[in-house]
Amino acid sequence: MRPNVVAQTRYIRRLSSRRAQAHYSTQQALRQQLVEPNATVNAFVNLALSPKISQQTGRLAGLNIAVKDNIATKELPTTCSSAMLKDFVSPFDATCVQLLKSSGATVVGKTNCDEFGMGSLNIHSIHGPVVNPFDTTDPRSAGGSSGGSAAAVAAGMCDAALGTDTGGSVRLPASYCGVVGFKPSYGLISRQAVWGVVSYADSLDCVGVLGSDVAISLRVFEALCEYDPRDPTAAPPEIREDAFAHASTRLSSLGSEMTGLRIGIPQEYFPKELSQEVIEPFRQVILQLKEQGAIIVPVSLPSTSYALSSYYVLASAEASSNLARYDGIQYGSYVRPSPSTDLSITANVYAQSRSQGFGAEVQKRMLLGTYALSADAFDNYFLQAQRVRQMIKNDFDRVFSMSNYFSDAVPSDGSFTAARQVDVLLHPSAIRTAPSLSINEKVEADLSSYVQDVLTVPASLAGLPAVSVPLGKYESAVKGDTRWPIGVSVVGQWGTDRLVLKVGRLLESLAK
Amino acid sequence: MFLRRLRPPHCSVRAFHDVRSYKEDTRWPGWQVIVGIETHAQLKSRRKLFSESLTSSLADKINSNVSPFDAAFPGTLPKVNSKCVDLALRTALALKCQVASRSLFDRKHYFYSDLASGYQITQQYAPLAKNGELELEIPNLPPIKVRIKQIQLEQDTAKSTFNSRTQTSNIDLNRAGTGLMEIVSEPDLRSPEEAGIYVRSLQAILRAMGTSDGNMEQGSLRCDVNVSVNKKGEPPGTRCEIKNLNSVKFMMAAITHEVHRQQDFLQTNPGLSVPQETRGFNENTFETFHLRSKEDAPDYRYMPDPNLGALVVSQSRIQDIRDTLPLLPAQRRAYLLRKYPALQMKEQSLDVLLKVDNTRDIGFDGEDARGAVEYFEVLCQGQDIPSRRDVHANTRDPVFVLNWLTHDLLGQLAAHGQTFSSNPLTPYQFGEILDLVKDRQITGTSAKYLLRYMLANPSGDNAIDTATKLDFINPVSVSSSSLSSTSTLPSSSSHEVPSDLALEDPSTQNTSSSVINSSFTSSSAPRTSNVPPEVQAFCHQAISELPNEVEVLRTGKSKGVLNKIVGFVMKKSRGRADAIAVKGVLEKLIYDSVRDDQ
Repeated sequence: MRPNVVAQTRYIRRLSSRRAQAHYSTQQALRQQLVEPNATVNAFVNLALSPKISQQTGRLAGLNIAVKDNIATKELPTTCSSAMLKDFVSPFDATCVQLLKSSGATVVGKTNCDEFGMGSLNIHSIHGPVVNPFDTTDPRSAGGSSGGSAAAVAAGMCDAALGTDTGGSVRLPASYCGVVGFKPSYGLISRQAVWGVVSYADSLDCVGVLGSDVAISLRVFEALCEYDPRDPTAAPPEIREDAFAHASTRLSSLGSEMTGLRIGIPQEYFPKELSQEVIEPFRQVILQLKEQGAIIVPVSLPSTSYALSSYYVLASAEASSNLARYDGIQYGSYVRPSPSTDLSITANVYAQSRSQGFGAEVQKRMLLGTYALSADAFDNYFLQAQRVRQMIKNDFDRVFSMSNYFSDAVPSDGSFTAARQVDVLLHPSAIRTAPSLSINEKVEADLSSYVQDVLTVPASLAGLPAVSVPLGKYESAVKGDTRWPIGVSVVGQWGTDRLVLKVGRLLESLAK
Repeated sequence: MFLRRLRPPHCSVRAFHDVRSYKEDTRWPGWQVIVGIETHAQLKSRRKLFSESLTSSLADKINSNVSPFDAAFPGTLPKVNSKCVDLALRTALALKCQVASRSLFDRKHYFYSDLASGYQITQQYAPLAKNGELELEIPNLPPIKVRIKQIQLEQDTAKSTFNSRTQTSNIDLNRAGTGLMEIVSEPDLRSPEEAGIYVRSLQAILRAMGTSDGNMEQGSLRCDVNVSVNKKGEPPGTRCEIKNLNSVKFMMAAITHEVHRQQDFLQTNPGLSVPQETRGFNENTFETFHLRSKEDAPDYRYMPDPNLGALVVSQSRIQDIRDTLPLLPAQRRAYLLRKYPALQMKEQSLDVLLKVDNTRDIGFDGEDARGAVEYFEVLCQGQDIPSRRDVHANTRDPVFVLNWLTHDLLGQLAAHGQTFSSNPLTPYQFGEILDLVKDRQITGTSAKYLLRYMLANPSGDNAIDTATKLDFINPVSVSSSSLSSTSTLPSSSSHEVPSDLALEDPSTQNTSSSVINSSFTSSSAPRTSNVPPEVQAFCHQAISELPNEVEVLRTGKSKGVLNKIVGFVMKKSRGRADAIAVKGVLEKLIYDSVRDDQ
């Protein structure tokens, strides 16, 4: 061996051992960053304790990203927080996980959630509830169903996290935990990234991004924004481009200050359940926006009051279908039937596994969904709910200045009529701040836990992009409750994801 | 997108239409039988309906063609295979259906181990095509029109086999997710025989369209039959469905049994109607048996599939498929007769060709299957020999080709228990043999030997080389320079090329072709002068070695003996000699010597 080669080799060795050390210390740091806080917050259910060190290149290089536990990963289990799938490891990575990795991000672990994404408080989990990291001395809910993802970001355990949003499951926990939660347009990235997301209600499921600020959420969104021809419901490229072009024209006409931005305030989004602690700060935001040059337009979305009922019928019906495969035979933990069971009836074999494997909330929704699809109830429930869903979409299409490129209806000429006049809608993300975990037994007993979703569900039904951005500290009308985060949501027409995030950033700047 | 109007599934009220007039059946006089058939035909696509995995044949190793989607792994999504849609559209157009510009997919739910996801994706509410018809040809009777209610796309299930020894069900997911067409007829059939003709006609159409194997025994075509009976002049009775009939014979037997059963019930229970139920068929007793009654019918909880949007079929796509629609068997026959009018005298052979063609392996995704008709056409048009097109002015005599194809090639294959699909000869190889015969480079007898040899020893070798290797090249031949140099045969370039065809050519057995006719007229002239010295020598040898036969001939007692002596020469020449010429030489040698004697 020639001397210079020897020297080179030594140098490389030294370098690589330095890298290995760096890797080791990164791992140690990750452990410290994740394991200790997780003991109280319970955001992660599985940690990648020796994650591949992130690449130095790629648009997400150096970012640590957590992934909700209903998104398939081949290195870590995908339990969906269900006893049913407690040992399940997927043979593939979900598209969104592949995209994270190929963009240079490190997947640090899987986050807690409500079982199969069904819940608004992240209390229906085999792994136990997530504790809102905002203040763990007074345990409060992190929101659901992507509670673990929101809490992990809020606690600084990762830079961003993927969640899924079916009826508000990204925006609600973002609001409760004081982070940014973005649900893209259905069929834009959401559906292409949804290959590998364990279905809850396919016509609503979206992959969403939770981040500490809008900028990082946008970065992750951009990385996921690649067309995947595998996804049957992904919007075709030409539709996406039309919508993007339209949105960016509007965006550039607004300029960097966004003066003249027309913001609609939907009057139906202030139900009686909306707490005073939310209304007051929201008013202040509107005033600030007005000062910035935004045009505030009161609008009406008259079908909003039916949204929650429609959502629960449709989502439950789809859930009853999607979860049929977990029978202990195809998928899921098998429970041996008792010796007295009549095995000649197939249902008896499945029933035991399904009764024990699914939690109460999942069972409740599957029963509701099964009923809604039964021959006698189908017309009055499922079809009726679909009609309501169309009315809700029509409501939105009436108020937005841009046409809905994704709808089956022929896009109008986009003329600026009196009714169709706003760029985005603005409303509180949730009816309240994070509820206490200790009173959940009581909350569960009535329907008020479902009311949590009342403000987020319409955008899901209509497939629209929506971001929840935390407000800064505001004076609250209610004494002693000033600290808990409040989120405000921006909703845009289909395909205006970047416009929505831009407005989100504007709100963020106001809060600072 | 989310709104749709629905009809209740399986509308139970059936408006009676009298598309068919009552016809007495001696088996059940005074009773009318009404039959409707639901057929599930497996699409002959390379890949499954909603996943990338390959479809399987029964020979494939179990669970070898399974993607995560087929196994219903959580998180997987369906994507429509447009090839499957095209195949279904072809079928729909062949059955004169109206194709829906927008059709939808629905989930049909039930728990069973052959259904990994717990639901089957089908088209319950808005099927791909509706309102078609299939005309049945009944011998000696006017054709019957059977209305096709609808054609829908759906997934096949996995295959479940129960092992009674271990008391376990074994699941093979190879079939799971394979595309099926459900073809539903209106209740327009009136007897087991008509039902049989319906299924056979449908089978023929599917095969002609290349959309399905239509093989009932292998399960690529399965039938559920709805049967009801009523007294003449009364409204139709309550129907019973007989499920999973896997041969036409069983289906007809099942209908017959069901008719008698329902008839007995109605006679012993006057005033009652037959209880609606689903029945199975026992293949050993030829009887139907109770599976479940209407009350036990499962609620499939149909739901629009939220992952698959509307299946939109453009008019231009329909038109493209219509324009490239393969011909139906009858159309194909007419087409061939139009294209090759000479075949009008050879209809029997043509029917053999068409029949063989109909048993061809169906190509995947509607790709052209290399059937017997195509083989025939390639040969007729000389498409097998692009480099030699100049030689043969790119066409061959269709009668000559058809004769060799149906008599010799198919005959040889059949003699070895093979079918046309296992024919190892490329059109190029077979075409060469035909050309060798036609150019009289080899005799018909040699050609048959050569054909047999090449079938028994399949290789890519061309026929000329093989014939040369086997010393089959006619010694009189000079037309090919590549042959004249063979060392084993004396060059016969000094000899004139005979102007006629070899005797053994089967095509000489008919007189329909002008080519053949001319060969006969020219053969009437003696042509002993063309016989090469080698063959002359064989003739002399024959006369010296078969003195008894020669003697018989010389005394004029039997002409038949001459054939024996010719056969001797042919054997000696290994079939290369021209039998007519040999006959001439022998006659000359024998009778001339007789004359000399006198």
